[in-house]
Amino acid sequence: MVYEVFARKSRGEPLRHIGNLNASDDQLARVYAYNTYDEEKWFDMWVVPRDRLLEVFNRGDAEPPTPARKRAERGEAAATQGA
Amino acid sequence: METTLPDAIRTGVRDLVLVLADSKRVLGMRYAEWMLGAPELEASIACSSMAQDEWGHARLLYALLRDFGDDVTHIEHGREAHDYCNIEVLDRAAASWPDLVALNALVDTALTIQLEALQESAYAPIRQRVSKLLEEERFHGAHAAAWVSRFARSNPRARDAMADALRQVLPGVLRWFGPDSPSVPLAPAGIVDAEGGALRLRLAERVAPLFEELGITAVVTAPDFTGFDEARRRVSRTGPDAETLARIRGDKNRVFLMD
Repeated sequence: MVYEVFARKSRGEPLRHIGNLNASDDQLARVYAYNTYDEEKWFDMWVVPRDRLLEVFNRGDAEPPTPARKRAERGEAAATQGA
Repeated sequence: METTLPDAIRTGVRDLVLVLADSKRVLGMRYAEWMLGAPELEASIACSSMAQDEWGHARLLYALLRDFGDDVTHIEHGREAHDYCNIEVLDRAAASWPDLVALNALVDTALTIQLEALQESAYAPIRQRVSKLLEEERFHGAHAAAWVSRFARSNPRARDAMADALRQVLPGVLRWFGPDSPSVPLAPAGIVDAEGGALRLRLAERVAPLFEELGITAVVTAPDFTGFDEARRRVSRTGPDAETLARIRGDKNRVFLMD
């Protein structure tokens, strides 16, 4: 499973994305994040499974991510719309 | 120089520092041997990181020996295998990943427990450094715990291999803490807060959850101290294998060694 790694240099500073890693579970993901990214003096560090990140929007899209388009991408039939 | 300690205690402290330094140096080598062969890239990075930590701790501890009149350059680069005081189970490389995880879970944790016993030490030079070492050790234990959990959830063959590795390493690690009544007791002098059996118990309590996850028990029996050298904390009169010795002494880099 891919985990995204976030950290910040001091309290109050926004978290920033510093990289990612592969781990089979949360416990190993924490250890690997520390081992891989703790070269700098971080105030705190966080990991989150990539598949738990929810896209709100993406201005790089050719078309706006309307609910109908999202459902179409998931392969859901038009008949289920609004259900 | 630490002049306030009685001679016998000074010798005991010096021996303890060397035992810790040598064990950390060889443990670092055992981690380093898996920097390219671990089951996944992130585990290799973890081994590299833990190797760096252990070698850093070893250097810091070796440097303390100057206080006791030791020639630190000779200690680090000039000794023979039989002079080393590393914990015996580190004499040979880990043959498999479960064996390496067992060293990580038991040897690394035993060294940490020994360091924790020095947190309030009357010997100031180590007391002042021990918290930094312990802070860096935090994720070593977490690495071991995470891998034991992964083995526990894995297929029976992998789970048994991990359980066997832990069972094999445990007795030597328990004996390493030495007899309950050492010939040079350091606890009454305030050097450590516990010795022998009390430290064995602390280790057993710390690692019990790992054993339980694998469906086995961390059996603490009274170790056999026949032939046990209390200064080196070993029974075997030999030391690390020849290849390990050449690497930890830095034989290939001897030409660059400068005073």
